[in-house]
Amino acid sequence: MATTSLSMTSRQVNGSAMAALLAGGIGAFAMAAVVLLNEAGIFAAPTLYAPAGGVSGRTTLATIVWLMSWAVLHNRWKAREIAPGRVGAVTLILIALGVLGTFPPVWALL
Amino acid sequence: MLFTDRSIWTMVHGIGLGGGALIGLAAALFYLYAARSSEDSVAPPGSGAFAAATALSAAMLWLTVIVGTYIVFPPYRVTPPVGVTDLGEFPRALLLASPSTAWLHTFAMESKEHMPWIASMLTTAVAFVAVRYRSSVLQNASLRSLSMALLAISFALVAFVSLMGVFVNKVAPLD
Repeated sequence: MATTSLSMTSRQVNGSAMAALLAGGIGAFAMAAVVLLNEAGIFAAPTLYAPAGGVSGRTTLATIVWLMSWAVLHNRWKAREIAPGRVGAVTLILIALGVLGTFPPVWALL
Repeated sequence: MLFTDRSIWTMVHGIGLGGGALIGLAAALFYLYAARSSEDSVAPPGSGAFAAATALSAAMLWLTVIVGTYIVFPPYRVTPPVGVTDLGEFPRALLLASPSTAWLHTFAMESKEHMPWIASMLTTAVAFVAVRYRSSVLQNASLRSLSMALLAISFALVAFVSLMGVFVNKVAPLD
């Protein structure tokens, strides 16, 4: 992503905001990836709570990916001004893929 | 007893927490919409309320998905013992027993298993931005637009899965 001035304080620059929003998109995409891999029989996240079944592992794994990506992006961008256009577009694309991948009729296509 | 523990948890999950999150998301979206004319303001009004609305919505959404996944969903998916003919205590089995209601599990409930977690993540992201940047979110056009888009997606997802939950609970309630 394009970065510009480093002269502003981390409180004023938009890097932290862009990191949080893009991480949200990554989390959505991770949820879809985990679900689709499970439905395709390629990878099944371990069940963490047996009464709830596999959903406990899938949602926990996607949440961990979301938090880790947020932490990495925040550390890299917190003192930078990030171009919002590209980050916004990538975020919305990832969210769209994430929602599609968690939509049961899509699984039937696998 | 008028309500069982299971039905009380279902109401806490769907009406209390999920409904509360929907109201909070609607309020947050309204703040952002109303703030379109605030770009020239030094300190646009409502930034604290917007931060509170998004933070509260995010908290309620996380509680909704955690209660839903770990308290409400387990009794819903219990497999009935062999020989049981009354499936009233086993909602998933009850839904799957009839072709006319099977979609309420294969489409409605399976949508509810994952989509709300996405809404929780997106709302948390906007809540972080709202708390950290306060009035800048309302003044900065790109930040405001992106926040509004994510909140609108969250609202749509939560509204959709809430409706699916109403359908499921209408046909196969957790009594």
